Amino acid sequence: MCPSDNKPNQPENPQRRTFLIALITAMGGFISFVLGGSGLFYFLSPAWRSKKEDWVEVGPVDSVKEGDPVKLDYVKRKMDGWNVIESPSSVWVVQQKGEWVAYDPHCTHLGCPYRWDASKQAFLCPCHGGVFTKDGNVVSGPPPKPLNRFPVKVEGGTIYVLPEGIA
Amino acid sequence: MKTILDWLDERTGWRKIKEVILDRHIPKGVDWRYTLGSVTLFFFVLQVVTGILLAMHYSPSPDHAYDSVKYLSKEVPMGGFLRSLHKWGATGMVVTVFLHMLRVFFMGAYKYPREVTWLSGILLFFFVIGFGFTGYLLPWDQKAYWATTVGAHMVEQVPYFGAGLAKIMKGGQDLGAVTLARFYAIHVLVFPALTLLFMVIHLFLVVWHGISAPPERETPSTDRRDPNWKTRLQARYLELKSQGKSFWPYIIFKDTVAVTLVFLIVLGVALWKGAELEDLANPTDTTYNPRPEWYFLSVFQLLKYFPGKLEAFAIVLLPLIVVTLLFALPFLDKGPRRHPADRKWLVAAGWMAVLGLIVLTVQGAYTPLTNPVGEKNPMVMEGKRLYGDLHCEYCHTLHGHGGTVGPVLDEVGIRRNQDWLANHFRNPKKVTPGTKMPNFNLLDGEVESLVAYMSTLGAGTFTAKAPGLFEENCATCHKFHGVGEEIATDLTHIAGVRDADYIAAYIKDPIKLNPDAAMQGFSDQLTADQIKDLANYLYQQGK
Repeated sequence: MCPSDNKPNQPENPQRRTFLIALITAMGGFISFVLGGSGLFYFLSPAWRSKKEDWVEVGPVDSVKEGDPVKLDYVKRKMDGWNVIESPSSVWVVQQKGEWVAYDPHCTHLGCPYRWDASKQAFLCPCHGGVFTKDGNVVSGPPPKPLNRFPVKVEGGTIYVLPEGIA
Repeated sequence: MKTILDWLDERTGWRKIKEVILDRHIPKGVDWRYTLGSVTLFFFVLQVVTGILLAMHYSPSPDHAYDSVKYLSKEVPMGGFLRSLHKWGATGMVVTVFLHMLRVFFMGAYKYPREVTWLSGILLFFFVIGFGFTGYLLPWDQKAYWATTVGAHMVEQVPYFGAGLAKIMKGGQDLGAVTLARFYAIHVLVFPALTLLFMVIHLFLVVWHGISAPPERETPSTDRRDPNWKTRLQARYLELKSQGKSFWPYIIFKDTVAVTLVFLIVLGVALWKGAELEDLANPTDTTYNPRPEWYFLSVFQLLKYFPGKLEAFAIVLLPLIVVTLLFALPFLDKGPRRHPADRKWLVAAGWMAVLGLIVLTVQGAYTPLTNPVGEKNPMVMEGKRLYGDLHCEYCHTLHGHGGTVGPVLDEVGIRRNQDWLANHFRNPKKVTPGTKMPNFNLLDGEVESLVAYMSTLGAGTFTAKAPGLFEENCATCHKFHGVGEEIATDLTHIAGVRDADYIAAYIKDPIKLNPDAAMQGFSDQLTADQIKDLANYLYQQGK
């Protein structure tokens, strides 16, 4: 049976036709809106959902000597989606005249792990030669801004940091 | 604009395609009953869209499946809604595909020249059922685990090949990681691809032959004895077709209205009921009542009527007969007679089958639960799981197992209050200076779950009055360590299957937990403290 043998039938009412098409569009639009809207909201939600970080214990006060930056390693237990993972991470801690500073261990250029060079008294980045002072300011190289600082506090002889926005 | 459309037409021929698909005329008399196929098609699209979104937060491994579904439902914006829509969309699709099949059956629309359309439709019907069966294992909760366990054992009943088939289905001897990955692959890759393929074939045939016209009565003289019945039918079809309206927008309007109504129903149910997630699958649980999804309840109920060796008949032969009959239908019932009144016997048989299916499903749904349903505290269960995950038993002894570095935890729920426990888990050294317990950097939710679990340990010592309470109130029916009558259940080993909270709730109101209970509630005779005392006694002494 050939499907294309459409014979002309009774004259169509063009107004009714337009009306039906409008209704089809409205109903289809409604379904698409509910499905598409909720689906898009679901898919795009990572963009505006932020994770709350907790203070992490990184070590005792006496592990950091006045004026010498120290890298303190810690294992952070955190939610990674539906998994609880224990991710090892670290932080550079400097103490000068009782003032505590904690640096994100990633270079502000492209996130390489920099190190402290005691003889040059500077943080050196191995990737593109970025150099930072003890205060975290850029001395030379491509880094666009000073080292990122984490909130840090000392309680009962223990150092805590709040590693926000950790990469 | 017109030049672009012309250019496209030359390259794709879309004008002709539009004419064939959208402008084709639909026979006169095609009414609302004909929208069921479109509604089923809509459900497929709905399931694909929601399914793809769900897959973005799902991990097909027993370690993570349950947690990922929980995360998706509770943490991801709209996640719970989309899962609910997927679940109820599945239910809706089973209903509409079945009704669509019934419509075609009762109208005799599977007859010449639409036999192949019917065959592809039957295949699609089984794919929908297959989607259901593979889909509800994925959350890896109790229902998922036990329903699939039962399904696998049913396959084992197949003579000769049963054990092998069950192993193929499970991907091994046991229901586990390989089974879940298999079901996942089949659910999201195999079935969608096959369904799409056969749907394209099905829809192509629908367009090729045109939607069947409503059946008309036949007279004996125009039956198969008329050698030209095929030509006569074709002519009549063309006549009805020329009297009908074009597919777009008249028939599509009806379809859209039906789709929108059905979508609103599913949307309403999805928002109202949500999608349940039971407790994590637990192969050692003996108190769970496995029940299949409602569309398998008829089979579930049927099995009760075939004890012993007869069961293979119900599991293997009966479905085989049904499947064969469905596929063979257009070859058994041939000729021009399509109207139900001209096919009385077949239509009666069809109604009998539908009625039987409904009766079995309803009976299955009302089967009393053998195991009384007890409320479990999900926090306690989570805490118990965490106790194992963190390997607390390396240092602590509980119920006679574990290390001796830390204190024994059997009665920690009495010794320590919840605040102390919470502070202790957050920072052990601060609460107990000099302790060897390391700081686990536990997350807030984890601390809460562990505290909930620890609080139950040892909770509920009983007083010296408890044995007397038992003798006065319970011993007339129950036996406990040699005391009392054995009219009702012997409670000596009750602690193996029920915890103290459950026992207390049961003493208070048995009917609530077990609708068939012959025992009456004791909330009038005993005070709340006495009931708790009694429950603790039965639990502690019943180990």
